[in-house]
Amino acid sequence: MSVKIPNSIGELPNSEPRFIGTEVERIEDPHLVTGRTEFIDNMVMPGMLHCAILRSPHAHARIVSIDTSAAEALPGVVAVLTRDDVLRWANPMTTIPEGWAGHCLATERVRFVGEPVVAVAAKNRYVAEDALELITVEYETLEANTDARKAADGSAPVLFEEKGTNTIFERVFTWGEVDAAFAAADRVVTESYRWHRLGANPLETFGCISQWDPIENALTCWGSFQSQYHFGLGRAGVLGLPTNKIRIISQPHGGSFGGKGGFRGPDIAALLSRKTGGRPVKWIEDRMEYLAGGAGQAWDRHYDLSLALRGDGTITGLSVKLLDDLGASAEAWGAVSAAKPLAAFTGNYAIPVARYDLTIVATNKLPGSPYRGMGPPPQNWALEQTVDFAARELGMDPAEIRRRNYIPRDAFPYTIASGNEYDSGDYDAALDAVLEMSNYNDLRAEQERARAEGRLVGIGLVNTIEPGVFDWNAYAIVGQPGTGVPEGATIVVDPFGKITCKVGFSLEGQGQYTVAAQLLADWFKVGMEDVRVVALDSVAAPPHFGPGGSRLGVALTGAILGACQILTEKMLKVASGLLQTPLEACEFYDGVFRIKGMPEACVTLADIAGCMFAGSHLLPEDVDPNPEATYVWTAPGRTPADEEGRAKSYLTAANACHLVLVEVDAETGMVEIKGYWIADDCGTRLNPANVEGMTQGGVAQGVGAALLEEYVYDDDGQLLTSTFMDYLLPTIYEVPMTEKRALCTPSPFTPLGAKGAGEGSMHTTPAAVVCAINDAIAHLGVRALEMPAAPRRVWTLLQEAKS
Amino acid sequence: MADLRKIRVTVNGEEHEAEIEPRLTLVDFLRGELGLTGTHVGCEHGVCGACTILWNGRSVRSCIMLAVQADGSELKTIEGVSSDGSLHPIQKAFIEEHGLQCGFCTPGFVMSVSELLEHSPDPSDDEIKDYLGGQICRCTGYQTIFGAVKSAARKVREAGESGAAGEGTD
Amino acid sequence: MKPPVFDYVAPTAVEEAVALLGEHDFDAKILAGGQSLMPLLNMRLARPSILIDVARIPDLDFIRVDDSAVSIGAMTRQRTLELSAEVRERLGLLHDVMHFIAHPQNRNQGTVGGSLVHADPAAELPAVAAALGATFRTLGPDGERDIAVDDFFVTYLTTSMEPAELLTEIRFPLLPARSGHSVQEVARRHGDYALAGVVATVTLDDAGRIGDSRIVMFGVGDRPMRAVDAEQSLLGETPGEPVFAAAALKSIEALDEPLSDVHATAQYRTDLARVLTRRALTEAAVRAAGQGSAQ
Repeated sequence: MSVKIPNSIGELPNSEPRFIGTEVERIEDPHLVTGRTEFIDNMVMPGMLHCAILRSPHAHARIVSIDTSAAEALPGVVAVLTRDDVLRWANPMTTIPEGWAGHCLATERVRFVGEPVVAVAAKNRYVAEDALELITVEYETLEANTDARKAADGSAPVLFEEKGTNTIFERVFTWGEVDAAFAAADRVVTESYRWHRLGANPLETFGCISQWDPIENALTCWGSFQSQYHFGLGRAGVLGLPTNKIRIISQPHGGSFGGKGGFRGPDIAALLSRKTGGRPVKWIEDRMEYLAGGAGQAWDRHYDLSLALRGDGTITGLSVKLLDDLGASAEAWGAVSAAKPLAAFTGNYAIPVARYDLTIVATNKLPGSPYRGMGPPPQNWALEQTVDFAARELGMDPAEIRRRNYIPRDAFPYTIASGNEYDSGDYDAALDAVLEMSNYNDLRAEQERARAEGRLVGIGLVNTIEPGVFDWNAYAIVGQPGTGVPEGATIVVDPFGKITCKVGFSLEGQGQYTVAAQLLADWFKVGMEDVRVVALDSVAAPPHFGPGGSRLGVALTGAILGACQILTEKMLKVASGLLQTPLEACEFYDGVFRIKGMPEACVTLADIAGCMFAGSHLLPEDVDPNPEATYVWTAPGRTPADEEGRAKSYLTAANACHLVLVEVDAETGMVEIKGYWIADDCGTRLNPANVEGMTQGGVAQGVGAALLEEYVYDDDGQLLTSTFMDYLLPTIYEVPMTEKRALCTPSPFTPLGAKGAGEGSMHTTPAAVVCAINDAIAHLGVRALEMPAAPRRVWTLLQEAKS
Repeated sequence: MADLRKIRVTVNGEEHEAEIEPRLTLVDFLRGELGLTGTHVGCEHGVCGACTILWNGRSVRSCIMLAVQADGSELKTIEGVSSDGSLHPIQKAFIEEHGLQCGFCTPGFVMSVSELLEHSPDPSDDEIKDYLGGQICRCTGYQTIFGAVKSAARKVREAGESGAAGEGTD
Repeated sequence: MKPPVFDYVAPTAVEEAVALLGEHDFDAKILAGGQSLMPLLNMRLARPSILIDVARIPDLDFIRVDDSAVSIGAMTRQRTLELSAEVRERLGLLHDVMHFIAHPQNRNQGTVGGSLVHADPAAELPAVAAALGATFRTLGPDGERDIAVDDFFVTYLTTSMEPAELLTEIRFPLLPARSGHSVQEVARRHGDYALAGVVATVTLDDAGRIGDSRIVMFGVGDRPMRAVDAEQSLLGETPGEPVFAAAALKSIEALDEPLSDVHATAQYRTDLARVLTRRALTEAAVRAAGQGSAQ
């Protein structure tokens, strides 16, 4: 059966859709606001033990000996897991690129502060932590490798002796005649940038309960897994189990922003469970474990970025050199973040040629993980600063240089130099909207007045692309193969006309269960309360990936609408029999199966489902009594990457334009955000409230990136920001209230014309805030080129300006 | 192991007696011993506010309080804010104004806001910020939460004026 | 992040608490509001063998205001102080500084005495105590004694109290008429410990000249750092930007090199202290001028 997914809300079989595309209250919320949602740490199982993990205090050391005898003797301790168990029962961690990690417990050496070394299962977490203090590990410390430049030039100690190098990946991608473009340029603008590590920090850390089945040699894991099926495949590889002997059950999770699913913890808990003969073992990562050893650090980057320009401001070429410090292994998906920029390499601009000189190195820091945006935000930040510097050199307004280089609205679909195709967009409209909303000319006048008083006021104007609906092919260059990312949904109608939607992902915060209910209520013309959404585990659910890469809203919509279409066509056959009318004269519309042109001659969903349930004598021969359909959606038209990494990868290109007004305290270096305006275009908004929330949430994380958040390691590889007293999350005092305007250029390629809009402002805010800071201090002859623009850094720049 | 100590606390109007280790934190007592898992643990060092509860009517971090310190106290957790499936006006406001996404921090926010509105039924913007400044939300960016508090204050005031404050407000 | 094993005792009289302290000496730790101690316990960075919880001692929780001072019981919650209308009216500095201390959820539990005895050099309350010339009353095995603030804070997290002494009361003298105060600080986020901060008071004489002033910097030394020379330099001067700028320059001469950490270098902290001193004096003087006699 060919399934054609509607590209607009108007194509739904409903004359008056009430829910999709409108702001509705979320079905997830009543449980959340009453504290009734079952997060992993709420779960208790009979015989359950609690795991605590002893972690390395050294960045780089050889393990000489481990003595666990006193810990084993402590009352309440049931099992202690060491490298001996791990070498016996487990394989090294899976990695991208392949072959760059050790085991889930350090075996021969430790490579970062916080690396797991020994684990304990005890009757409760208190006793388990007591036991850790009784373990003696003798280390022979090694020189730490903490400088990515030294790691790259070969002068740092090597982490993996068998590799003989710390360079994990090194290649130059050239898309078009880049040298010629730079040679012919009227002007070349070049700058170097440093983006320090930061990361996701969801309010709920990662947690899991692993239970080994010693009879069948099988594993069940409950936990806050972002992508349960893929996580299960990885566990099979690491734990040496057949893939169908692993069952992952994703519990609702308290935020993710990339990386939820942890690394190592579920394997350690699984092996402890195996060692205890199959008792469930719970591991809840505490916040200090998360900060030092969790999936919470990303984007430790050194950029050199050059633009080739004509005298009129037209950008004719882009060159990006990135040295990416991935930390101690490639086990946590971090390398993918260096590949994803290919999906939107040249931003909103029609830059015909580009080069990407990419080096990824290993150092003695926590392995890098995914974080909201998955890599492009730092590149956008560097690109947008450079565009502003170019504008200043050319005497152009930031709005003018951007407008000159936008991909024109009539040029879509548009293939960028790095190979991806943007579906649609109107970048001028977004720019016009923020200029109007902010009264841009008045702001410039205000800036002039402030400057005359010696105050440092600046305006940041930035636009970015948010690639939506990720595809593996975008990551091919670093060794993650594949084209297409299936997402399935199963729709069931019961004999009372109630609808259940079964999916393969759990709550994470984005409100997708609500979107599912909106869609189904409008397709079947019922109330949202008639729809229930349930999560199935990795074995039972249809093929799925879940949230990630700004994909799930679009992918889930495709899966549900596909399943709805299959199911209603099947039910229509039954209706045709009941109505004693040929199939082609029947239709499903406005919630009933009816004779075309005779809407009063109809049967209901419940009639058909009831007929399947207990009326087999009325069923046509070719219809089985199953009022259920599954459809698995994947993005259409994706192509494998070519030898230069070019592919049709991310399906959608949402765009946003942000304008920020800041004031820098000329004496203290403190930055205050005084105004913030956003125009945002992500095509059809399935639930506008969800989109606004993601947009504003991205602003908050972007402000954190721009001003507050930074993991600091010293030269010995010690983490100096190991608590929330030093790793600073933005609060209501730092995050601005923003004025937002929604624009809509539907995608021609997606279900209902929606675009991915999950990562949102994280692409834009860091760049916008720092552009504003640089605008405020431009006349002083200094530039903020390091993230975050923390007060100590800004103050130092202001001192440089004075001297 | 230290000697166990007997404590008696009233939680959400119900009296509990327990023998516990002195080192047991209050949040672990509420979650582990009483099964009141609506109070969440986010940082265990008093910064994020996910574990906020009311202690004798005042909002506190239950992760940096020992259960023994609460002996003889009256505690209120998110489970005590509404009952019978009905929602407190604060909870309704959070839903209507989309003041949550993942919802993990929300119980802590609700508890802080309930103290705020008790103490200041028509809070100024500064007062709202003061009360929320120590509650971290990683999802929403606070704008909708701020709106939810404004709306909740209106709802609570209106309920008070119409004499219908009893609805779910304990 | 679970605390290590310890014993716990909750005396109901100060004498009992002091006796327990004497018995356990350095192994005992007083538990007041716990806002600083409990995180250290959860991280297992503090390892007392016994906690002495002084919250059950009724006579440590009070606020008394007389003609010369505000006296506060050591176990008085910071929030109680913040909400006291009498304190607000009679010693506004003590009220205003509360908004800089963490968040209401911490102040609900945290105590005035706990914060002072913890003696974090970046904390606000010790600086206010230094600026007002507070007196600390303690009870020990040898009875009561009063410690002047200048003798109280010794160095990082250390006071001059003996291990077996308990802080019972703090007396904050009222400011004279025609006085103004200011608290200025730079923190990464609202409610965080200050990178640097300044508490200043200015008292004007009948001629509108500076009759008295206190300048205390915090976050820039091993204890609240009073800038006596800078205070002296202001006496008899007419308030104004140049005078305050000069005093601010002088005030940082009182500093040794402050700590450098991930948030601020020593040079940055020092310069902040200068800037904030000038701003604090300016604001305090404006308030003093607007005060008349009500302070």
